[in-house]
Amino acid sequence: MIVLAVMLIAGIVSLINSIPLSIKVIYAYSKQYVAVTPRGNPFLTPLFMKVVEEESPVELERVMVIRGSGVEVKSIVGNWPFVVLGLEHSDMDYYLDRMSSEVVEGRLPEAGKPEAVISETMSRNLGLGIGGILQKPDEAESFSPMPVKVVGIADGENWFAFTSIEYQLENHFPNIDAFMAFAKSPADQLKLDNWTEEQLAGQNAQVFTYRQLEEQADTMFTILYQILNVVIGTLVVVITLMMGMLINIFLSQRVQEFGLLQALGYTKRGLLRRVLVETTIFVVGGWFLGLAVAFGLLNLVKVVLMDPKAFALDTTDWSAYSYSLPVPVAIFVVSLVTVWVKFKKFDPVGIVERRLV
Amino acid sequence: MISLERVSLVYEDHGREVHACREVTLDVQPGEFLGILGPSGSGKSSLLYLMSGLKVPTSGSVHWRGDDLAGMGDEVRAQIRLKEFGFVFQYPYLIGYLTALENVLVALPGEDRVSEAERLLTALGLSEHMRRYPHQLSGGQKQRVCVARALLGSPAAVFADEPTAALDHTSGRGVMGLLNEHRGAGALVVVTHDPVMLEGADRVIEMEDGAIVS
Repeated sequence: MIVLAVMLIAGIVSLINSIPLSIKVIYAYSKQYVAVTPRGNPFLTPLFMKVVEEESPVELERVMVIRGSGVEVKSIVGNWPFVVLGLEHSDMDYYLDRMSSEVVEGRLPEAGKPEAVISETMSRNLGLGIGGILQKPDEAESFSPMPVKVVGIADGENWFAFTSIEYQLENHFPNIDAFMAFAKSPADQLKLDNWTEEQLAGQNAQVFTYRQLEEQADTMFTILYQILNVVIGTLVVVITLMMGMLINIFLSQRVQEFGLLQALGYTKRGLLRRVLVETTIFVVGGWFLGLAVAFGLLNLVKVVLMDPKAFALDTTDWSAYSYSLPVPVAIFVVSLVTVWVKFKKFDPVGIVERRLV
Repeated sequence: MISLERVSLVYEDHGREVHACREVTLDVQPGEFLGILGPSGSGKSSLLYLMSGLKVPTSGSVHWRGDDLAGMGDEVRAQIRLKEFGFVFQYPYLIGYLTALENVLVALPGEDRVSEAERLLTALGLSEHMRRYPHQLSGGQKQRVCVARALLGSPAAVFADEPTAALDHTSGRGVMGLLNEHRGAGALVVVTHDPVMLEGADRVIEMEDGAIVS
């Protein structure tokens, strides 16, 4: 029962943790730059670019004008929106480099043509190879006036998709330029992100940073985790009560043994120590076995269900495993109380005379 | 060796005061076979538990080799029971998950007594049953394992409380014979209501209503 409870709790929490983890993994590309789009006035982009270029507190490596259109990627809780960037041809290699990636199959998109490069993770997620269609005229969420064909697949862990900026300029609306700014040193990117957010706050600009994404992902699941805590708390109480009853029955069955041993000359303290050692081994062993089973099953789920779709699942998520800790702790405490109550009024003579059994 | 002086044991049973022993004075000599005879409820078992330190008298004193058992701590009394005394109870209590041999070794934990336990079991006619579990043994065989357990380590005194009660007459006499034969130099104190089981006893005392009557 301990094994099952621990396995269940660790498994469920790992799977739930995989949702915010997926958000952070899928949109991890935004760690590499800060993106800015104007609001209300499409002609503000050059102005904001100038501010960033001239006043940035860190050395910039590149600032690039981009366009964006939408596509949907799959997650274990449904489809999520994802940006297909429109890049200048001269920026494509740099972008791939910043993503620690290179095209391993196919080629880069030609200017103005409905062609895209996607990451290997997206290729797995959407089941698209070279020649596959990324955006279509008849798909509302992954729309493009022409079928956009995958012409290149890039390796690495980052998720991304891009076409030529010329294709997006001609085919996608609204007609607004955005820009991305890359710090020269990736270590300075966070500083640049924070500075840009502060600098453009209150202006007609929307700033996109990885920090915002992380924050949103964390707040988005606050209520879910509160519900999860209540569910797990209830589960722990129920399992502990059941285990308490089982331990009580188990000890009652051994009362005769303890009575006999005490009559023969074993001390109450020694017997108590023996029962506590047995209980500790039982509880800790059950917990470790439960963790091992959970780890094995999660790895199986990862290999069979998650990896083929590039869904994120951390099978060594210690926060998920630590959620199961209240199970052995509560059972151990209940066991201690049960053992203490049993031994408190223990009369070995009553046992061997068969008055108490 | 064991000396009881004006020992009384009084306890409450459902609000009623029960005098299990009344001012009993008695000595047990080394190597002596002492029989305690009496009807049910006469206090003979209570007297045995007082002599063996399993119970503490309400008044009077029990001395083991000159030391007052009641004045010792629980742990010291337990140690004396473990090292110096052997016990055979009315019902052949054995630990279900241990073999006959392991059940005998329970008497002296942490000591290497395997060959002695094997010798005792063989002497008690259980050489073929040493590796068997209690559920594989008959009542008489179980009680013989209990006898072997009581005799392990050649205790200074063996206390037997109605050791033949759960056995038929022939098995009972057999067990008593074995107990007497293999106790070595140790004293043997046997409580029973059946005088036949005390054949060979050096001394027999009779109890009635908590007091020695003869």
